[in-house]
Amino acid sequence: MTSNVLRRLWIAVLLGFGLSSPTGAALAAGDVLRLGNAGEPETLDPHRYNLRLEETILTDLFLGLTTFDAEANIVPGAAEGWQVSEDGLTWTFQLRPGLAWSDGEPLTAHDFVYAFRRLLAPDTAASLAYFMYPLANAAAVNAGELPPDRLGARALDDRTLELTLERPYPYLPERLLYPTGYPVPRHVIEAVGDDWVKPEHWVSNGAYRLADWQPQAAVTLVRNPHFAASGLQAPAIERLEYLPLASEQAAYNRYRAGEVHAIGAFPAGELPTVRERMPEHLRLSPLLSIMYLVFNTRAAPFDDVRVREALALAVDRRLLTDRVQRAGHVPSPSFVPALVSDYQPVPEPGADLDRPARLARARALLTEAGYGADRPLSITLRYVSGTETKRTNLAIAAFWREIGVETRLHQAELKVHFADLRQGDFEVAMAGWFGESNPEHYLGLWESSTGDVNYGGFAHPPFDARMAEAAGIADLAERNAVLREAERLGIARYPAVPLYSVTVRRLVSPDLDGWRENPRDAHPARFLRWR
Amino acid sequence: MNQPRTGRALLARLAVSLVTFWVIVTAVFFLLRLAPGGPFDGERQLPPEVEENLRAAYHLDEPLVVQYGRYLGMLARGDLGPSFKQKDFSVNELVASGAPVSLTVGGLALLLAVAGGIGTGVRAGLAPGSALDRTLMGVAGLGLALPSIVVAPVAVLVFAVLLGWLPAGGVDSPAHYVLPPVALALPFLAAIARLTRGSVAETLTEPHVRTALAKGLPAGRVLRRHVLPVALLPVVSYLGPAAAAMLTGSVVIEQVFELPGIGRYFVQAALNRDYTLVMGVVVVYAAFILTFNLLVDLAYTRLDPRIRLGGR
Repeated sequence: MTSNVLRRLWIAVLLGFGLSSPTGAALAAGDVLRLGNAGEPETLDPHRYNLRLEETILTDLFLGLTTFDAEANIVPGAAEGWQVSEDGLTWTFQLRPGLAWSDGEPLTAHDFVYAFRRLLAPDTAASLAYFMYPLANAAAVNAGELPPDRLGARALDDRTLELTLERPYPYLPERLLYPTGYPVPRHVIEAVGDDWVKPEHWVSNGAYRLADWQPQAAVTLVRNPHFAASGLQAPAIERLEYLPLASEQAAYNRYRAGEVHAIGAFPAGELPTVRERMPEHLRLSPLLSIMYLVFNTRAAPFDDVRVREALALAVDRRLLTDRVQRAGHVPSPSFVPALVSDYQPVPEPGADLDRPARLARARALLTEAGYGADRPLSITLRYVSGTETKRTNLAIAAFWREIGVETRLHQAELKVHFADLRQGDFEVAMAGWFGESNPEHYLGLWESSTGDVNYGGFAHPPFDARMAEAAGIADLAERNAVLREAERLGIARYPAVPLYSVTVRRLVSPDLDGWRENPRDAHPARFLRWR
Repeated sequence: MNQPRTGRALLARLAVSLVTFWVIVTAVFFLLRLAPGGPFDGERQLPPEVEENLRAAYHLDEPLVVQYGRYLGMLARGDLGPSFKQKDFSVNELVASGAPVSLTVGGLALLLAVAGGIGTGVRAGLAPGSALDRTLMGVAGLGLALPSIVVAPVAVLVFAVLLGWLPAGGVDSPAHYVLPPVALALPFLAAIARLTRGSVAETLTEPHVRTALAKGLPAGRVLRRHVLPVALLPVVSYLGPAAAAMLTGSVVIEQVFELPGIGRYFVQAALNRDYTLVMGVVVVYAAFILTFNLLVDLAYTRLDPRIRLGGR
């Protein structure tokens, strides 16, 4: 009896196998574009967002005052142009004529004012509210010390928006690219409250609007019929699905099984296979980012600049990226990534020495600092757990062994790692910084007034003085020249060891046209079309 | 059977289950908040005023005891609260959207594991020591030794990537529900097969079975009436926690097959310090475990007349 059941069951299972069609054929070009995203969005409210993977979707859903072109250059968005006052404090934006929300309601400068006030209102609890702190009174409004109408944003008429800044900030057009600068539909939010982000209430002003969201399964976007009214190029693809593919292996499998048209990452170990077997799918692009080792300069042994310099000199970046990681990452001798525009980063002082000279100098510095065979330097290196990070940090420990330093490795999950770093509970640790194309974004981490993301508690008054000087300069070239001087002063004190800029490994279907590699790894769907 | 006594005993068991449930909820609530790091820690810096706004929005600025009281109050009303991380959804919405997927995959796996495991186990147990027995148990041993984390990715590689017969992940069609239940069921199937086999082989040597056979009863009838009810007791007690584990979603299976179930929240929400979501899945899991244990106890009294709830 039971064996009969068993037999029938197996037949059912085998039938199941036979019945399903090859899935590769199921995904033809021309209908839905299925994109692998790095995980599940935590929110699609542009004021409450926090993650890059949310930025990816929000870029398709909304249009800020400025926006990207296909290569992620900054171009006019909802604003067709702007003027900056002589002192750099007043920015006047002219909105495009005919702007509309996805429900057809006209979009005006008042919507932007409402959006900036909402972002900074304490009740919104926006974790990235500080992105708009360059606006006058923004921090005070966010802290609840001033009412929202004191914010430096006002509508002169329906199509003219005036932003007043706290201090000159020439990088404002870049800052406005982020979802924190997007308008939100006041008429919907005031009607349905926090439920405005649900697909049934959704209204936005980007090339697409939200059609459906199944948690952990897919976020579905459809074309916004009112986008073309802005005069910007309308999207060619009707429907998008963003799939949360958090695991690189799962993303890789589903891409190879033909279930998605593009994925954001695949396991580094597969790079040689991909290069050999599917080179036409591979898209490698260096990202605006810096991965680095940070020293806790508050306590021994790293309160001694000689020890910091010695450890920096012992690291061989090229060996690390090319032989150990082999993931295409780009070694960076400077803390500000080379990809930052209008800026010439300052490399670490010993960067031009060859390896033997670096090691010799490192050993001499350690001896000078009182360490040697009889009293070896013994330290703990912290990193975020993961197979790729483990290999990287083992290699760093090996570099340091060459100069007689004993390194214990300590791994922790991401939250614990950064909580420890913020509390200054570490000796030396791996960290990273991503995002903007301006030097201040990176150098700010070393300012003594920065707070807890200056993990190592680095404080160097001459550096701080240069940073403060730069913050008052409205002219971009002049400002960046002073920042370069600050970087030179900072790196000479070795608060950190810059290691490499991340390279994004994507697979993109050759059926897709319009996909351009760029340092922000931003690929708005409105530039994509089927071949 | 003494009905009133069984009824009272059942009520007592229910009360014990409720107390256990409360202890679990309380322990997890406080342990979670003892873990280092909080829901709003990330790589980006949060200015103190921003962090204060966030903490106030989620009542994290209140004393722990007040938060605990607030949570118990919501729980009593069936409200699992807003998710800290999935800000656009409540925990109830997330569980409601994930549970059907986990239940479907787990239910199919449960059927497969029970039918396949008992079938294989009885076959092997009826002829202990035979070539068939040794083969089946060898295979079952392998099934036990190979964890899902190994079987599932290999299954994806072979059937989805290389052969292209089945999808690699997601839940868009019935074909998506083939590989995950099979991969989930295998270790449970193997465990049930081994339990059944040992138990059947042992029961065959018992006096009441030998008597039944000596009386000349047909072998099939002896198996159904005299062997299986006794032999399945250990299987039934194993099934309680096993069923709860399968139905509430496997972390590994859901990650490998990219299933939008609730199993993945066990790890993901804990790593995110999404306090309410962790509590939500713990509540669901605890409810399943306690229910199934109760069902197992009831099944015992059915299968074995010597056992009564609360009886001596």
